[in-house]
Amino acid sequence: MTEDSMVTIEVDGQELKAKAGAMLIDVADQAGIDIPRFCYHNKLSVSANCRMCLIEVEKVPKPIPACATSVMDGMKVYTKSPMALAAQKGTMEFLLINHPLDCPVCDQGGECELQDQSLAYGSDVARFVEKKRLVPKKYIGPLVETNFNRCIHCTRCVRFSAEIAGMREMGSTGRGEYMKIGTYVERTIDSELSGNLIDICPVGSLTSKPYRYQARAWELTQSDSVAPHDAVGSNIHIHVRNNRVMRVHPKANEAVNECWISDRDRFSYEGLYSEDRLTSPMIKENGRWVETDWETALQQVADGLKEMGAGTGALLSPSATVEELYLAQKLVRSLGSDNIDFRVRQSDFRGGEPALPWLGLGIDEIEAVDAVLVIGANPRKDQPILGHRLRKAALNGASVCYLNPLEYDLNYHAEQLLSAPANMADDLAAVAKAVGATGAIIDDAEVKAQHQSVAEQLKQAGSALVLLGNLASAHPDYSILSALAAEVAKASGAKIGFIGEAANSTGARLVAAMPTDGLNAQSMLEQPCKGYLLLGLEPDRDFWNPTQAQTAFKQAEFVVALTAYRSASLEAAADVLLPMAGFAETSGTYVNGDGTWQSFAGAVQPMGEARPAWKILRVMGNLLDADGFDQNSSQDVLEQARNSADGRQLDNSVTADLGQERRLNGSGLTRIGDVPIYATDALVRRAPALQKTADAISAAIRINPGEAAKAGLADGDRATVIQEGNLATMPVEIDPGVAGGSVRVCAALAGSETLGGQFGEVTLEKA
Amino acid sequence: MKVLRNYIKSLFLLEMFKGMRLTGSYLWRKKFTIRYPEERAPMSPRFRGLHALRRDENGEECCVGCKLCEATCPAMAITIETGPREDDGSRRTTRYDIDLFKCIFCGYCVEACPVDAIVETRICDYHFEERGENIMLKDELLAIGEENRDRINSDLSAQAKYR
Ligand code: SF4
Ligand code: SF4
Ligand code: SF4
Ligand code: FES
Repeated sequence: MTEDSMVTIEVDGQELKAKAGAMLIDVADQAGIDIPRFCYHNKLSVSANCRMCLIEVEKVPKPIPACATSVMDGMKVYTKSPMALAAQKGTMEFLLINHPLDCPVCDQGGECELQDQSLAYGSDVARFVEKKRLVPKKYIGPLVETNFNRCIHCTRCVRFSAEIAGMREMGSTGRGEYMKIGTYVERTIDSELSGNLIDICPVGSLTSKPYRYQARAWELTQSDSVAPHDAVGSNIHIHVRNNRVMRVHPKANEAVNECWISDRDRFSYEGLYSEDRLTSPMIKENGRWVETDWETALQQVADGLKEMGAGTGALLSPSATVEELYLAQKLVRSLGSDNIDFRVRQSDFRGGEPALPWLGLGIDEIEAVDAVLVIGANPRKDQPILGHRLRKAALNGASVCYLNPLEYDLNYHAEQLLSAPANMADDLAAVAKAVGATGAIIDDAEVKAQHQSVAEQLKQAGSALVLLGNLASAHPDYSILSALAAEVAKASGAKIGFIGEAANSTGARLVAAMPTDGLNAQSMLEQPCKGYLLLGLEPDRDFWNPTQAQTAFKQAEFVVALTAYRSASLEAAADVLLPMAGFAETSGTYVNGDGTWQSFAGAVQPMGEARPAWKILRVMGNLLDADGFDQNSSQDVLEQARNSADGRQLDNSVTADLGQERRLNGSGLTRIGDVPIYATDALVRRAPALQKTADAISAAIRINPGEAAKAGLADGDRATVIQEGNLATMPVEIDPGVAGGSVRVCAALAGSETLGGQFGEVTLEKA
Repeated sequence: MKVLRNYIKSLFLLEMFKGMRLTGSYLWRKKFTIRYPEERAPMSPRFRGLHALRRDENGEECCVGCKLCEATCPAMAITIETGPREDDGSRRTTRYDIDLFKCIFCGYCVEACPVDAIVETRICDYHFEERGENIMLKDELLAIGEENRDRINSDLSAQAKYR
């Protein structure tokens, strides 16, 4: 019998067609026949250890588990026969032997699979009167709370850790009564997907720590939304109680995030309730900030912007919604200015980018590629769900290669070419040469064995992919890198893809939130504008060169910032602060990396006087007497934005010139200013639980042992980084994963805002 | 004929005398009125009066913040907020309000409580002078529980067999 031939089976008298080899439980699920289960999960391997899914099959003397039985032609299955029910009831009784009567204090209460099943299959009297087992709780990190007394040993968490998170972090020790789940040695779970353990655990053994004891499932109302942190646009459910976001859960969408979300998407909501939320409009009067009402503030903004006119520069967050970006660019264009940009973390605008870069293929298609070359990116931390797809590809047999200035801790086998920022172009050129491309830098490249092997893998693959990510787009020679990547792709027959940095990087381009002939994000700060409009950005954290940004804003005549938070740097930079609605407080649309438009509604009312940014911008348009600001809902705005985007196509064709001047040369130490996973945007930076995780690193000079010895530094020393005359002193950490000739000084962290660009020459001095 | 009979009846106040006779007969019988508040009518141990929150023998509040009482209350009179307690991280209420204007004294909350934390006492005479006093706060409820500790406990054991 071949794998895909169809068989006919009968379940509870209902005739079903199924693929031969499919598991019975799946077939029943699809037909809507309910079989109880604990250990089975359709994204994990089958372990058949809970025995809850026992059913009766004709001619089989004993009940058998539906999750581990494949269908066979003519099979007759009874899920509700006396034998099946007795088996299920018996299993239930055994499971409850050691399960504490914890429901009143258990956070899973009300949404617990064990509760539901025991209601349906359990008995109302317990015959077990002996002592129950006690298992001490373990600390496994700031995100997931444990209570292993409640564990029913389904091992879903163990399989999740090994199969999905790719870290053998959890396991079971002991047998029978003594079986225990835990991390083998006392340690925290540092996966970027660890929050999914909360969903995967059928009981209250693994629950959310930030949500601990905060609410009950029945008190929550659910609304659908889209995660605002990366180019994946994971679908989420927002759970609300009393106009407050209580937690975030994944919403299954096979094309985007399957049934997982990253911890960043799950726990960032906490940042909404940070103390520095801006809740009323504020204006600066004689150097002091005073609260005011909307009318005064907006009038002041309108007057200010009118005066700035064509001298206005708009810097917009790539995490803003399509509606906000569309209205913002429209507003600034109506002032006669074309200085609009959202690429605040880019420094090379020499035209290396394609017209409308995107992922190049569907997110769900990534797992089917045969070879991937990832340049200047760490999807595992930057876009965790994308990282998971890449891992799936690797497990499916794809060869994955990385070209980065940092060596990453990956959860699958991949070849990592470590290359100092200044040498990345040379290494990429060597790969290009090895795949048979020709051109300016390529011809001079020196091909080594590792380049040859990457080239071979790309060439031999049936479908290959070259991906550029966050570090590449922040690189001072981004144009050259993307041009080289395009050559590699062309010569090897691979697809090229650009992983957008933020939730709406693709959407921002579709609604033209970038200059046509005006100043770009870089030149707007280099040749300061008269006035600025900032949308959702923090001067000290969100720019490629925070020092330059802060200086430019300080010398501007008028700066208005639409922001959800007040911070010292915004207060120093702006003249008017307008409180805008944060995540979950506004309706909007994001276009994710693969070009999918995903709209969502607001889940809660904005805090205090804050208003959705699209409404603020619309009223600003009216006050400035601009045309076309008469939308009544965000849908109206979306419709117009969509119409304006009609002529624009996703387009990854690169036309840059390979012979451009290289801005980074290899002399001295080069800074690698990557943005760590929990520093990407204002919301995440204010989420307390995420900031306690191991991934939430603080500013330090990370340098490999060789370079450290050269600079006379040792682990734990303090040293001063000097970049273009800007100083910052921080501790030294020895990290062999940093390429020679470079030093990793992360951007967007407290302590790094006094430095210059994300990449650039630095010197170190022992403090 | 009928008219005539009615005329005579009302002329001689016949109905009134009938009534007076009934009233008069009570004048000599044994009295069953009581002198409230000095005297009180007997009460069942299951009487559903003013609420109280109990503490256990160690002085620890019994309520574990499961919110079942809040969920079951048909009048939506109970408002609870919970969180881990600072010192030991145990599940506790940070707010427990009962709005006595909403409450219909159905006792469902008492039935729902898995730990006998919320109880209804025999207290049925109280009044409010200011708006807002009708909302019983957690501390007040706990205080009532402490004041009437013995009574509550004996009532609980008396009704245990019916629950
Ligand atoms: S902790 Fe939860 S998921 Fe893990 S084995 Fe126990 S019950 Fe299953
Ligand atoms: S007695 Fe009834 S109405 Fe009053 S608080 Fe309890 S459940 Fe609600
Ligand atoms: S009073 Fe009882 S039912 Fe109500 S929250 Fe406390 S423990 Fe739960
Ligand atoms: S679901 Fe089949 S044995 Fe657990």
